[in-house]
Amino acid sequence: MDVGRHPKINLLAYSEVEDISGYIGNFKVKVRKKARYVDEVECTSCDDCVDVCPVVVPKEHQLGLASRKAIYIPFPQAVPASYIIDEENCLGFNPIACGKCAEKCDKNCIDYDAKDEIVEFDVGSIIVASGLDVYDPTEFDEYGYTRFENVLTSMELEILTGPGGVTKGKLIRPTDRKVPKSIGFIQCVGSRCESRGTAYCSNICCMNTIKDTLLLREYYHDIDCKVFYMDIRAFGKGFEDFYRRSKALGVEYIRGIPGDIREDPKTKNLILSVENTTGNGIEEYELDMVVLSVGMVPRKDSNSINKLLTLQTTSDGLLMEVHPKLTPIDAPTAGVFFAGCCEAPKDIKDSVTQASGAAARAASILSKDKVKIPALTATVDDDLCKSCGICVKVCPYSAITIDMKAKEPAKIIEAACKGCGTCASECKFDAISMKHYNDAQIIAQIDAILEENPEEKVLVFACNWCSYPGADLVGISRMQYPTSSRIIRIMCTGRLDEKFILHALKLGAPIVLMSGCHPADCHYINASLKAQLRIEKLWNKLERKGIRPERVQFEWISASEVGKFVKTMEELEEFRKSVTKKEIEETKKILSKSKK
Amino acid sequence: MATESDFKCLRCGHWFKTNYEKNKPEERTCPKCGSNSVRPMPEKKK
Amino acid sequence: MSENVRIGVFVCECGTNIASTIDCDKLVEYAKSLPDVVFSIKNRYTCAEPGQQEIQKFIKEENLNRVVIASCTPKMHEPTFRNCVIDVGFNPYLVEMANIREHCSWVHHNEKSAANVKARDLVNSAVSRARFLEPQKELEVPVTHSALVIGGGIAGIQSALDLAESGFDVHLVEKEASIGGIMAQLNKTYPTID
Ligand code: SF4
Ligand SMILES: [Zn+2]
Repeated sequence: MDVGRHPKINLLAYSEVEDISGYIGNFKVKVRKKARYVDEVECTSCDDCVDVCPVVVPKEHQLGLASRKAIYIPFPQAVPASYIIDEENCLGFNPIACGKCAEKCDKNCIDYDAKDEIVEFDVGSIIVASGLDVYDPTEFDEYGYTRFENVLTSMELEILTGPGGVTKGKLIRPTDRKVPKSIGFIQCVGSRCESRGTAYCSNICCMNTIKDTLLLREYYHDIDCKVFYMDIRAFGKGFEDFYRRSKALGVEYIRGIPGDIREDPKTKNLILSVENTTGNGIEEYELDMVVLSVGMVPRKDSNSINKLLTLQTTSDGLLMEVHPKLTPIDAPTAGVFFAGCCEAPKDIKDSVTQASGAAARAASILSKDKVKIPALTATVDDDLCKSCGICVKVCPYSAITIDMKAKEPAKIIEAACKGCGTCASECKFDAISMKHYNDAQIIAQIDAILEENPEEKVLVFACNWCSYPGADLVGISRMQYPTSSRIIRIMCTGRLDEKFILHALKLGAPIVLMSGCHPADCHYINASLKAQLRIEKLWNKLERKGIRPERVQFEWISASEVGKFVKTMEELEEFRKSVTKKEIEETKKILSKSKK
Repeated sequence: MATESDFKCLRCGHWFKTNYEKNKPEERTCPKCGSNSVRPMPEKKK
Repeated sequence: MSENVRIGVFVCECGTNIASTIDCDKLVEYAKSLPDVVFSIKNRYTCAEPGQQEIQKFIKEENLNRVVIASCTPKMHEPTFRNCVIDVGFNPYLVEMANIREHCSWVHHNEKSAANVKARDLVNSAVSRARFLEPQKELEVPVTHSALVIGGGIAGIQSALDLAESGFDVHLVEKEASIGGIMAQLNKTYPTID
């Protein structure tokens, strides 16, 4: 791998992205480079420090069969090829207790006082390749993963038989360290399951097991391999051939997922009972070793990145692209692209393919000198602005400045404004307008929709990033819902001024829905919560006027929540039927009397 | 300061209690029907 | 707002995706009945080359200054149609779309008559909005010619290398002490065994 040495690549290992701001072409990034306590540039991996380190701890992912020191290298081919001190176990942070490695290191690479470093830089484009995690099958207690030593995960088998494994590639069973005579693979552990792990197929486990059986049969001719499966999914180029070879080598494929595993306390052999759906009902097998073919699950730490870049996920936790066919690797946030498993589980070939695609997409921006920013920003009418300063307070991006003393009108910093519309909605003097989503345009749409038979319609304001594409996905999925809904697109619920809702009620709308991104997914930091607050206030106002607050509703519907969208439309249609003509007429009367 | 307050779901009519802080909205969901249209009802009687 | 607004409405059948639920001929007639609409026509596929050429042609012939396209979601083809009109010197912000596919024909195919009423409302809404559209000029900002890649697994490494080889500076951020991700822990991998 020449990533570590490439002159154009600044490798920041053992680092975390702390903050990202800005926009396409101009992102500002802040990265925390965690202290390794070993100078990664100077370290020559001579190993002298390891010899003197007195602390021995079990090595990660080695089934307790191997150990390492508190100063260690994660694996032989690590990049950067440098040691690292494990903070938790090293004694050297107390100078009286230890300091052996620092004394020993000729190049003086070790510094117990090293601090985390904050690195800041600008970039024009971002590729998210944050990956997925390997599923931990502990909750599948019926397979005794934590109770029986001879039950391993497919990942553990990989490491055990890999070049970095303790056995240097030899397969042994943990309890007696002998080569097993029989081995069983259980497929789909943590995949395709509604209650545990993930509902999706993890894509790689079938082929990985087939590969394992081929390798095993090649090295240990007489090892008995059995695979317990639901379906074998061998859909790629050459994959079916692989599967056939495995079967030809005598690997037995049994269609059925074992209900449980028991252990023979004496031999430590494992007994599986399984309903063979192509055989004679319940069968029992005794095997030396069992491998749980585990799937891939979203990383627990992926939320922080998703939040920084306002990326949304499916209900399964996979990143949502703009369009599955037209722009499958583009994030909804302009200038951001996906590579690898964070978008969906995939094998190496597909990961590499997508990664090259993401690089090409990013390069299409980076190769330009300038990019255009959509003209969706706020503008101030200097004559109407009273310099009250409320817009400055509500703008999520601090994109507005006002000289309060000089009583000068508000100024919008165009490059910083993202166009959520919060200021326009909050301005009491109608002094702020949004380019391409101005009052006249939105009012015209409301008027048009409510021109005929308004009592039959459910007026919906949906935001551009979540609820509008969510409604699109309902269509793409061909789900059906009541025809009463009429959707008006706005960039963000932040744009939804109460005057639009009052206008609609005045024209006879039985019900108005505001629908947008869950506050945690809001594309404008916290604009959707500000919108929620405005609705809460509007409810009080309506009640004071004698209008049922129920007539105005809101719902947070993400781009993937098709079920929630349909359910909401069905419920609102039911509710609409309960709003009588008389009630609508009264509302109209009340609202045409009061001015504001 | 967050205190407990009454809330009313404007979708299904269900009343329940949860944390509330004036002018500090957060995402809330009706425990009965799952709607987000839940109205804070501090100092209000049923 | 009446600097002689001339709106053209292009109704797309999308093969049968829209046409099997929505009566597109009637929708064209309806569009023509709306104020300021001076022209309307239906296409089999508006987004295809002939459909786009038709838009360009009628912008010129009919002297249109607003274009409404009743078709699929703007999330899909708004960029397509914006680029299409730019080619004939038309401001892209004077194009409006009515989503009669994702928000109508696909989701109400069992209720044809109500779906047709809804399609009319959506066209009316788009036309009404179009009347108030204004030309916009997009802000141009300079681009920093470097990239951030988050994650040093096989995908991140490949992206970083491709970008670096294309001549861009890349910052590759990895959480663990070494790059390589899960791939680095694997023994041999399919579809080749190495
Ligand atoms: S539209 Fe949103 S981002 Fe722009 S100035 Fe107003 S509040 Fe700030
Ligand atoms: Zn409820």
